[in-house]
Amino acid sequence: MQAKWISKKELKKLLTAWTKHYLVYAPIDNDHELAFQMVKEPARIVVDGYSNTRYPAKSLFLPQSEVLMKYDGILHSVENTEKEKILFGIRPCDAHAMQLLEHALVDVENPDLYWKQKRESAIVISKACIAPEETCFCTAVGGSPFNTADSDVLLVEMGEDYCVYVLTEKGISLCKELPDAEDTQLQAVKKLTKKVVGRMPVLLPKQELHNALMASFETEFWKDVSQSCLGCGVCTFLCPSCFCFDIVDETVRKERVRNWDTCMFRTYSLEASGHNPRPTKVERTRQRIMHKFAYWVDLIDEIGCTGCGRCVKYCPVNIDIREIAEKALHREFEGMKK
Amino acid sequence: MPTTRDQKIQAEAKRLLQEGVVDVVIGFTKGTLPYKMQPCFIQHAEDVEQLELNGLCSNNLAVYLNHRPKDERTAIVVRGCESRAVQTLVLENRHARENLYLIGVPCIGILDLQKIQQHEQDPVLAIQEEGDQVHVTLKSGEKTFQRSEILHNACLHCNHPLPVNADMIIDEAGLFEERTFDKSYLESFRSLSLKERYQEFTKEAERCIRCYACREACPMCYCEECFVNHSRPQWVDSTIDPAGQQAWHIIRAFHQTGRCVSCGACERACPMNIKMTYLTDLLNQDMFKEYDFEPGLDPALMPPFLALGEDNEKFGVGPEGSHAG
Ligand code: SF4
Ligand code: SF4
Ligand code: SF4
Ligand code: SF4
Repeated sequence: MQAKWISKKELKKLLTAWTKHYLVYAPIDNDHELAFQMVKEPARIVVDGYSNTRYPAKSLFLPQSEVLMKYDGILHSVENTEKEKILFGIRPCDAHAMQLLEHALVDVENPDLYWKQKRESAIVISKACIAPEETCFCTAVGGSPFNTADSDVLLVEMGEDYCVYVLTEKGISLCKELPDAEDTQLQAVKKLTKKVVGRMPVLLPKQELHNALMASFETEFWKDVSQSCLGCGVCTFLCPSCFCFDIVDETVRKERVRNWDTCMFRTYSLEASGHNPRPTKVERTRQRIMHKFAYWVDLIDEIGCTGCGRCVKYCPVNIDIREIAEKALHREFEGMKK
Repeated sequence: MPTTRDQKIQAEAKRLLQEGVVDVVIGFTKGTLPYKMQPCFIQHAEDVEQLELNGLCSNNLAVYLNHRPKDERTAIVVRGCESRAVQTLVLENRHARENLYLIGVPCIGILDLQKIQQHEQDPVLAIQEEGDQVHVTLKSGEKTFQRSEILHNACLHCNHPLPVNADMIIDEAGLFEERTFDKSYLESFRSLSLKERYQEFTKEAERCIRCYACREACPMCYCEECFVNHSRPQWVDSTIDPAGQQAWHIIRAFHQTGRCVSCGACERACPMNIKMTYLTDLLNQDMFKEYDFEPGLDPALMPPFLALGEDNEKFGVGPEGSHAG
């Protein structure tokens, strides 16, 4: 890892220079919300002082709707036209989510090529959160607002400058012109890190939570916490680490597409026979939480939630995943009916 | 802090549960975020103190009648639009009126977070309501709004804030007057050219992420299988391409004709802040012009399109009516 330094003014110039050689995706205020968009006018990039985009960064690698094949009697695969691109300004929670998605989508023998091509062609420049939101809880699930995982470069906003942590070969090639950070500057970054992290929620004991959830499985706890759930796609579509999809043949367009799908939809587990193994929102809510906090732990010993807080913020009935995890951890299900 | 209105709601809920009149009281309780309230389901008299009602209660509670057992004896705290949704659901045989107890609250309106929080970068940290005024703490500082400035549009355009056919009315004054049907805000849309209307509609529709929160938040959208999920035949493109988005929004609106109670719960549930109630309001305006009908106002009157095909004099349909068939 190298530590470099750049002024805000210089960074803007650098961004403009990059847009000449790469496709750059960055947060842009589109009048409705902040969203990762392909940059046409570098001046519109929101560089400083935002928290996160509403629509998650995963959409750039696993688009909500994606054409997998075309057919005109026989199936044709779609050509890989991915160009090298820079993803600028993603938050550590979303970067961490990409690592989780990598586990889900790329096993060694059968990688998801659509994802892989997009992921490999991207240089990820993430941005540390110096002012996390009330709904942020990355520190509770093993992350940090200064997490470097899955990024090529991490920027830390320091007054009128940025500290630039260069983390990979890809990052080095982008930042080689920048001067090294001085020791006093790095001390200041350390101090800031400590201050910001110190105000964030404490780490959840993941194994204990996992065990508690497993023990809660058959109890009425799930009826209780899912009572107000509407069964929409908000929590999972906005989640940076949810990856379920559904493949559909769009016969009119002669395309085989995949669309995001979600375990919260009642049609998700509906079988052709009419049987639905997760017939109500009780089982569906349980699945969402168990997947994140128990099954991921079983699989890779990591929590599958990255603490971005989108589901907390945008759930139309304020179902709060933090609250459910806390309740489970405190074994509120004990004594509840099976 | 519970207001006197809250205390009255709590007292009634307590009585209903203690006397065994109902099995559950559906209302709102404090949420986990300063700008959110959560629907809650109170089954024990000792829990009634959780019940609160304020301008942050953004859902239409009638939606839960579609989730819960039909024979459950249920009390619901209803504002005007929620009571009208209940009437419509009862008419459509979703629930038996005798199993329901409506605790009516003259409406104080619902606040629109988007009007309060102008920028994503400037989040709401606290909201305190005080009569006509609402004090808001934003990250950038304190602000006091007149309630009317930050009301959700559905509430600004509401004609019937008083609950219909409730079993009791909390005797606190609401903030709005009843008025005769008025959706004049639609005139600006009606006056657009066809092309402009299309643009207006499609630029909104195309931001949709097909999460169906609008549908799920809507008490009137209770179909076991929504047309949009139908695969044989497939009615709507499954992707987020414009054609599918447009079809989804247009057809959903049409299914609401004469049924939508203009509560705006769909818009408040939408994570992308997509505004579509003007479509259902346009259709309802036609319903009013053609049939003098307003959804949910008369507990005995079927929505015109549900009455279609029967010999129904009230709506001029049947053998001689222009809408026969
Ligand atoms: S938890 Fe909230 S966002 Fe998720 S499906 Fe339920 S209502 Fe929708
Ligand atoms: S369509 Fe929207 S405004 Fe109309 S009843 Fe449904 S949720 Fe309410
Ligand atoms: S949009 Fe139409 S089909 Fe879908 S749930 Fe609503 S009423 Fe039913
Ligand atoms: S809630 Fe909003 S984004 Fe979701 S389907 Fe409805 S309009 Fe689209």
